Amino acid sequence: MLSALPGVLFDGVAYGSLLFLISIGLSVTLGLMNFINLAHGAFAMVGGYACVVATLRYGLPFGVALVVAFAVAAIAGGVLERVLYRRLYGRSPLDQVLFTIGLTFMSIAAATWVFGSGQQPVRLPDTLLGQTRILGVDVGIYRLFLIAIVFALASGLALLVTRTRFGARIRASVDDARTAAGLGIDVERVFSVTFTLGSGLAGLGGALGIDVLGLDPTFPLKYMVYFLLVVVVGGAGTIVGTLCAAMVLGIFDVAGKYYVPWAGAFVIYALMVALLLLFPRGLLRRIR
Amino acid sequence: MADLLEVQGVVAGYGESVVLEDVSFTLREGGSLALLGRNGVGKTTLLLTLMGMTRLHKGTLAWRGEPLAAVPPHHRARLGFGWVPQERGVFPSLTVDEHLEAIARPGEWTAARVYQLFPRLVERRGHFGNQLSGGEQQMLAIARALMVNPTLLLLDEPTEGLAPVVIDELVVTIRKMLASGRMAAILVEQHARLALQLTEETLVLDRGRVVHRSPSRSLLEDPGTLDRLLGVA
Ligand SMILES: Nc1ncnc2c1ncn2[C@@H]1O[C@H](COP(=O)(O)OP(=O)(O)O)[C@@H](O)[C@H]1O
Ligand SMILES: [Mg+2]
Repeated sequence: MLSALPGVLFDGVAYGSLLFLISIGLSVTLGLMNFINLAHGAFAMVGGYACVVATLRYGLPFGVALVVAFAVAAIAGGVLERVLYRRLYGRSPLDQVLFTIGLTFMSIAAATWVFGSGQQPVRLPDTLLGQTRILGVDVGIYRLFLIAIVFALASGLALLVTRTRFGARIRASVDDARTAAGLGIDVERVFSVTFTLGSGLAGLGGALGIDVLGLDPTFPLKYMVYFLLVVVVGGAGTIVGTLCAAMVLGIFDVAGKYYVPWAGAFVIYALMVALLLLFPRGLLRRIR
Repeated sequence: MADLLEVQGVVAGYGESVVLEDVSFTLREGGSLALLGRNGVGKTTLLLTLMGMTRLHKGTLAWRGEPLAAVPPHHRARLGFGWVPQERGVFPSLTVDEHLEAIARPGEWTAARVYQLFPRLVERRGHFGNQLSGGEQQMLAIARALMVNPTLLLLDEPTEGLAPVVIDELVVTIRKMLASGRMAAILVEQHARLALQLTEETLVLDRGRVVHRSPSRSLLEDPGTLDRLLGVA
């Protein structure tokens, strides 16, 4: 039993990395504008399909396809923010939930129509296949690659937010949008850029995750609960909090499915209840 | 030349409710105006209206002759409004340095000059907004407003809740800021005498209306009227 633990932990971290990458945009959107975007997973799905099309139809290398996935999802997010989402800011949470759940179902229908309802295959480059041994544990090379990318991106994001002027403007807008605007910060633009970036990262997560999470048209609905859990447990608008929550949920979900398969998803729901009782405002509340 | 700011028959409030019933006044370039009145008469609402953060039901606002009504708040800051909100609005997740840098606009006020004006903030450069004392937060709110290089500084009860020594320090600084004459200012204050000493002209509000306007000096020399308007000694 325990001998499997390192492997389970490793897979949990890989899974948590994906959850982080996909959820971070949602976390910032919620923290910045109090906007509830249930359709966030659809941007991850868009990235996944973009990657499939880029590799299988156009024969692009996987690395290039990841960039394409990011770009397509970012553009989709940026455009939708401009033409649709913007109208919903400041509306009631019910309006936002109804609107974005509608958008989610539309994305599912659209994906089914274009790609069919089946699981999509992914062709990983040979260099990322197989296993390697680290500290006596057999680990999948692809998962290792995944963790490395996500930690690099998380560090980059943290630097962007904590060290740059734009990052300071994001934090100011999250703290107090009205005062930020009163001092000359174009909060709407800060939000557009952040939304676009968050959608792009979700798209990248969707593409990287095909091999781990799978990809079919129900993706946005199937994982919606996970993304929301990460954000709620981590605390909206915090990078470190989102990362911690994603890791905790990833590890417990993988471990639960391995050790107590009969309990199904119950493990992480129980975990969520416990965490929210202990940290009702999220593990970390502010963007830091 | 048009006045810096011209407020004509302004009726404004929050949503459907009306707080300012009918407010008109003008402010010249470099002029200073004390805005006095009892609690709840609409002083903060007037400043928020100047910043474009309330609902303007009627009337016009003009900045150097150009209409302001349709200009969003962040553009007003860029036009030259330097807003120091009553609640101070210090950002908990920004350091003192970041407060200044995040909103800095080119001009004579640089971080170095602002720190000269508020030496206390220098020792706090790396501290976050929520780690500052009330006095330091107020200084930061003013320092930050200076970084947009304003033409018009809006100060909403800068001495509220501060210890007397801190108030003295702040008043010296505000006097210095206004003395240059290049920056206009509207000062909302509960300490009426203080505000009268710092400004050229005074506007007294009551229940959303202007009930008195005169040079500050003449009100300072007429305690009877001051008492009648504000109920202070
Ligand atoms: N956000 C708001 N929504 C609705 N009413 C408000 C709001 N802020 C202030 N008011 C009301 O507007 C009136 C004037 O308030 P305010 O401008 O803050 O007064 P002052 O700054 O002179 O003390 C008060 O009656 C207050 O209750
Ligand atoms: Mg007030």
